[in-house]
Amino acid sequence: MIKLLKIEYKKILTYKIFWILTGLYFLFLSLGLLMSEFMINNMVDNMNRRLPIPLPHVTIYFFPWVWQNITFFATIRYVLIFPAIVIIILITNEFTFKTIRQNVINGMSKAEFLISKLMLILLISIVVTVLLTAGTIIIGVSHTSDLTLALVLEKSSFMLGFFITMLTFQVYALFFGFILRNTGLSIALFTLYVFIVEPILYYFLKSPIVFKNDISPYLPVNAVLRVTEYPAIQVLKNIMGLNLQNSISFAVCSLPVFYAALMVGIVYWVLVKRDL
Amino acid sequence: MMDTILSINNISKRYGKIQAVSNLSLEVNRGQVFGLLGPNGSGKTTTLSVILDLIKANSGTFQWFGQAPSKESRKRIGSVIESPNFFPYLSPVINLKIVADIKDHGYDDIDRVLNLTGLYDRRNTRFKTFSFGMKQRLAVASALLGNPDVLILDEPTNGLDPQGIAHIRELILLIASQGTTIIIASHLLDEVQKICSHVAVLSKGKKLFDGKVSEVLAISDSYELSAENIEQLTMIVRTHPSFSSVTPGIEKIQVYFKEIVNPEEINLFFFKQGVILTHLSERKRSLEQHFLELLDQNK
Repeated sequence: MIKLLKIEYKKILTYKIFWILTGLYFLFLSLGLLMSEFMINNMVDNMNRRLPIPLPHVTIYFFPWVWQNITFFATIRYVLIFPAIVIIILITNEFTFKTIRQNVINGMSKAEFLISKLMLILLISIVVTVLLTAGTIIIGVSHTSDLTLALVLEKSSFMLGFFITMLTFQVYALFFGFILRNTGLSIALFTLYVFIVEPILYYFLKSPIVFKNDISPYLPVNAVLRVTEYPAIQVLKNIMGLNLQNSISFAVCSLPVFYAALMVGIVYWVLVKRDL
Repeated sequence: MMDTILSINNISKRYGKIQAVSNLSLEVNRGQVFGLLGPNGSGKTTTLSVILDLIKANSGTFQWFGQAPSKESRKRIGSVIESPNFFPYLSPVINLKIVADIKDHGYDDIDRVLNLTGLYDRRNTRFKTFSFGMKQRLAVASALLGNPDVLILDEPTNGLDPQGIAHIRELILLIASQGTTIIIASHLLDEVQKICSHVAVLSKGKKLFDGKVSEVLAISDSYELSAENIEQLTMIVRTHPSFSSVTPGIEKIQVYFKEIVNPEEINLFFFKQGVILTHLSERKRSLEQHFLELLDQNK
């Protein structure tokens, strides 16, 4: 296992595109997180122009709700797509450069090859989760007045939700990469599915005309996004009548994990069946 | 006792309508330099891909070192298949470190193979800046890493300049002299003739012939003869028990025999018939002629 990670590490260490995309991801992520309060309040100001009783400005960076708010903004489609594209590039590169062939020739099994990519996804998810946890603590501490350890830890389970989101979404990307094997095609189809196909399916399935029961929560990307569904913002709750999540639910988390496991199984089967 | 490195038993592989390999059986023993000779599309690369677990054969089996194939057996084999496959954005050293990691070797052999292939000075430049010849040499370097028991080379001199070809051939002979078993796929007869000890000739996925290269070259099936009276000579030669055919000429005639006949026997045969030969020369059939004949027979 360590050996496989060592190999993955060498493959990305001096790969410029990997570091550029990773840098962009962190830049985008930090900017998004730091700007989100400002952007919401901007929205509130706009609404207030038409409302007789003005809504109060929101604050989202205080404990314990900062966990929920930050993990929500860090798992919107636009942010999640970055690590997914990185994973697609790293996997399809192996097919483009035929290095997967060479790895197998040299004595790596196809299963080991798949495991090495899964380990990479696991590592990326852990690193990003740790960094985001550190960032959240810094932001939270500087925005909370009566700080207690209990308060800080209260909603920290949302970080686990973030980790599961990162992990499963990247496995979805891995699935596209391994099945399609072509970089451009994989990125195009994955992005198309995430941003266009599934949102359309979502509204289609949500309307009671098609199915009696609403099966839209079972859509794979939607299942991932539901892990950290809404930010804990009172205004949103009041206006939209949303039921706020109070904690990370095991049932909600298990669905994307199930999909991811299924995809890994399919990828393994295809990898073993298909000639290299 | 022969030490079998690779045995292939009745392997067949079909791509849709094309039968790439059909019922191929081969045996490669320790210390051999085994040539897989055949024109493009004769199934050489497919065969190598099967024995390296890149593609699955439709039927048949193969064993490495007398055992069922596994990733562990592949770690003992150094291979160059088709094009050199490396990460273009990584340096040769890092590319070779990845190979060493997979094969469970240390990194201490990397400098040696880079020196052997003349790439040591370029060890830290990215692979994509390499010329084709350098890429091919790096592939050979990677195959040599950790002194494998078997070296598999698929068209190792393809696309190289004459100097590069000479260099690679010298290297192969050097490695062979150290006792490493080598399997080379090539469409160049000349190459097989120069490097290999054994050869299997493939055409359209079928094995036409295999054996020692020296035996193939030793087959002498024709003689050039001359005597005072050419007409008499031509008449008498037809009575030889192994006679096959004769190409008449004014100065010399060329005689083909059905089986191997040595020059001594021929001389004696004519002497007994009262004919003194003024010219007797053995015409060795080259691998190339043999190869083309075999291909012709299988059309």
